[in-house]
Amino acid sequence: MKNILNLKLTEINELLKEKKIKPIDLVNEFEEKALSSSLNAFITLNIEAAKKRAIELEGKEVDNLFFGIPIVLKDNISTKNLKTTCASKMLEDYIPIFDANVVEKMEQKNMIIVGKTNMDEFAMGGTGETSYFGATKNPIDETLVPGGSSSGSAVAVAAGIVPFALGSDTGGSVRQPAAFCGVVGLKPTYGRVSRFGLIAFGSSLDQIGPITRDVTENAHLFEVINGFSKDDYTSADVEKFEAKDLKLNKKLKVAVPKFCVGENINDEVLSVFLPTLEKIKKMGHQVDYVEIPFLKYSIPLYQVIALAEASSNLARFDGLKYGYSPNQYDNFDDFVTKSRSVGFGAEVKRRMMVGTYVLSSENVDIYYKKALQVRQELTNELNSVYKNYDIILSPATPTAAFPLGEKRKPNEAFFDDLLTIPFNMSGHPSLSMPIGKCGIKPIGMQVSSNYFEEKKIYSFAIELEKELGV
Amino acid sequence: MMFETIVGIEIHAELKTKNKMFSPALNEFGSAPNKNVSVIDLGLPGTLPKINYEAIEMALKAALALNCKINKKMQFDRKNYFYPDLPKGYQITQNETPIGYDGFVEIEVDGETKKINIERIHIEEDTCKSLHEGDETYLDYNRAGVPLIEIVTKPDIKNDKEAILYLEKIREILLYLDVSDVKIEEGSMRCEANVSIKKKEDLKLGNKVEVKNIGSISNVGKAILFEEKRQEKLILSGEEIVTETRRYDEKLGETVLMRIKETKNDYRYFPEPDLSIIMLSDSHIEKAKKEMPLLPDEMRKKFTLDGISEINIKTIVASRELSGYFLEIYEQVDVIETSKILTSVVLKQLNKNRKEINEIDKEGFVKLVNARSDKKISSDQLEAMFVKLLNGEKNIEEQIENEKSDMLTSQDLEKLIITIIEQNQDSLDKYKSGDERVLKHFMGLIMKETKGKVDPKEANKQLLELLSKLA
Repeated sequence: MKNILNLKLTEINELLKEKKIKPIDLVNEFEEKALSSSLNAFITLNIEAAKKRAIELEGKEVDNLFFGIPIVLKDNISTKNLKTTCASKMLEDYIPIFDANVVEKMEQKNMIIVGKTNMDEFAMGGTGETSYFGATKNPIDETLVPGGSSSGSAVAVAAGIVPFALGSDTGGSVRQPAAFCGVVGLKPTYGRVSRFGLIAFGSSLDQIGPITRDVTENAHLFEVINGFSKDDYTSADVEKFEAKDLKLNKKLKVAVPKFCVGENINDEVLSVFLPTLEKIKKMGHQVDYVEIPFLKYSIPLYQVIALAEASSNLARFDGLKYGYSPNQYDNFDDFVTKSRSVGFGAEVKRRMMVGTYVLSSENVDIYYKKALQVRQELTNELNSVYKNYDIILSPATPTAAFPLGEKRKPNEAFFDDLLTIPFNMSGHPSLSMPIGKCGIKPIGMQVSSNYFEEKKIYSFAIELEKELGV
Repeated sequence: MMFETIVGIEIHAELKTKNKMFSPALNEFGSAPNKNVSVIDLGLPGTLPKINYEAIEMALKAALALNCKINKKMQFDRKNYFYPDLPKGYQITQNETPIGYDGFVEIEVDGETKKINIERIHIEEDTCKSLHEGDETYLDYNRAGVPLIEIVTKPDIKNDKEAILYLEKIREILLYLDVSDVKIEEGSMRCEANVSIKKKEDLKLGNKVEVKNIGSISNVGKAILFEEKRQEKLILSGEEIVTETRRYDEKLGETVLMRIKETKNDYRYFPEPDLSIIMLSDSHIEKAKKEMPLLPDEMRKKFTLDGISEINIKTIVASRELSGYFLEIYEQVDVIETSKILTSVVLKQLNKNRKEINEIDKEGFVKLVNARSDKKISSDQLEAMFVKLLNGEKNIEEQIENEKSDMLTSQDLEKLIITIIEQNQDSLDKYKSGDERVLKHFMGLIMKETKGKVDPKEANKQLLELLSKLA
């Protein structure tokens, strides 16, 4: 049987149950596809261990939907005994001695981790181009960026190499590449997926999220990875999400921020987004434009808060216990300076410097503390919208995928996350789903809801997906 | 020229929790290097801190004992700097909202009570221990993540003597709260003194010199004395005092320059995003208050009111175990008599037998001291029976009964003494005329008549009382 991995999850599950295929067949198919791919989506393939695991599973009962299903993880999610590089020279040879909480959860379901995906270095970037291991390419057109920072995860799913991937999202790093590649990506409510084992970028913003081919499968994978964890003090002690009854039982009140269809948004995007809104109205939902004034501060907010946290989070990489270290040095300061100067790439260094600057005692009040206030204001605004509306819709990105290697000024790199950042700041859940194409370029729509209402997001998205037939 | 000294003191004390501040690794002194280490203590990428509530409870008790106001809504902050002993490149501490602030303790200086104001007490994690051997530095992560409290005074301390009294007071309080071992030699208590001096007529304080690595409380005093002289000399020779960090060299008896602070360290504090805000409810605080033992100062007041001698109070309060034991039996005994027994017979025999006070059966001990205060047994008998109790004698009541049956009661003794005095009128006359040698004669007669079944001290006391009535 060929191209089993392209079948629906439920179909693969049936084949496994009926013993028409074995887990090893899935790993073999993945291996073949991954090795013949020219997209540079992977940093590490875990073929040997995955095959061993697949054979072990042959004796076991197929007890759940994800049994024996291959998955790839962004390379900032710690995997025991498997290299986790963050796409950085700094961690080129780093092998964790423990598993991230999400990895344990997938192993409980007998999923098979087949590889670690390429990404922007330490998740800093929106195109995949800051990776120490080279840029990932967009399967739609290899001359286009795949988006980032979860570039390889989105690409691997979009290219049909593997049906499931995990990414991480600090300012849009799951949703934005999902949009650029035409797949589905969720940034869960902050605290709903344990961050333990995720190598931190902006701790108050980071969430691990599923990337899949369709909305229903996204909900199923989210079911696997969500849940309270005692290892993560910011974990939310709420009822676990379950992917069932994903049906709307009423028409929704939908808010569309005027800012998200304004001058910053590219026509390519609007040409697909606006007609989709019309369809949503025709489906019977009430669509209103709303003002959310603080949305316009998204990028400066991100630059202050995410980078301040990053400058501290990445301080542990001094080369002393793990990671890149120099052979020759004069003293401790020299050792650390050399480790970090050589180990980190330019974008990472730039962002740490900005973060250090905004936290310095001279600047902390004007930048960092101010940003915390603005973040609270923005959150309040979003919360007040959710008092009257079920969901907020917007394009996922201000543009569609653009050519690789495009020269941009350093601060333009944040522009791709213009519409996704607000929900990291507020902690609300937000999903990016494909709603059509402009030419060959996929366009994504972002669906957000109040805290812990992923079920509402998925139910709406499933209905829309059916309507659009994408 | 007259100078004034101003000292502020910072104390770091390790809390004796079972586990570390932010990880489940054991908090244990003296383990083999790098034995008590978790991935969190190593600061491995992807790890997150977890809060140890036992440490928060201990810190809360310390803050309450130091009469601090409590930050009921508190957060942890990151203090960012690079150092080999700092695994994450930042230390988790409390900058904005220390658990306690604006407190005080009282010390007795030359018979007067002086208030030393506490600016703040906060919780933080300890760093690795660096061991230097030749050119190499080794890191022991056992200490990384051990919970610490830092107690900072206002610049209220005027001299070495006050500094020592303050440190002893804090040490005693933490010991009584049972929240720290407070052993300077093991590093579970560390002291830094910030010393500045000024000419008496000057209003402005001189630059602050920080003295670190002081190995004992008495050395804090010595370091302050040395700094006073060093700084005075500099000022008198027209030089300026530089803001710097020094350490105290015990062998030299001097403070030695470590580094000059050219620019202020910028630690880029910000709220620890991996930990949410902690709310200390009123019931939390009430519970901590309820669990707090009687503290030494309160204990001293109570004992003084109950008529216990100053010297015995000092001896008893010096040991948390001894005073704790005493308080537990306090309502069941004659406290003055018991304080005497505890500070004499008990301490002597515990020492001799290398035993701890808590090994002594309380019920038996209460019976024993009560038998003694009822004069049923002599002090020699008490001591003999205490040794038996110490060695596990279960039936102390029976022992007392056996001994007691041979003993004269107080009333019988009194009757006997009166008879003896009456029968020796001439000796009584001699006594009246001031010849105290007859006391020995009387005592001899008493001991002979009672065949030794009487406590000589008690007999002597009664004899003197009766003679003084007759004389």
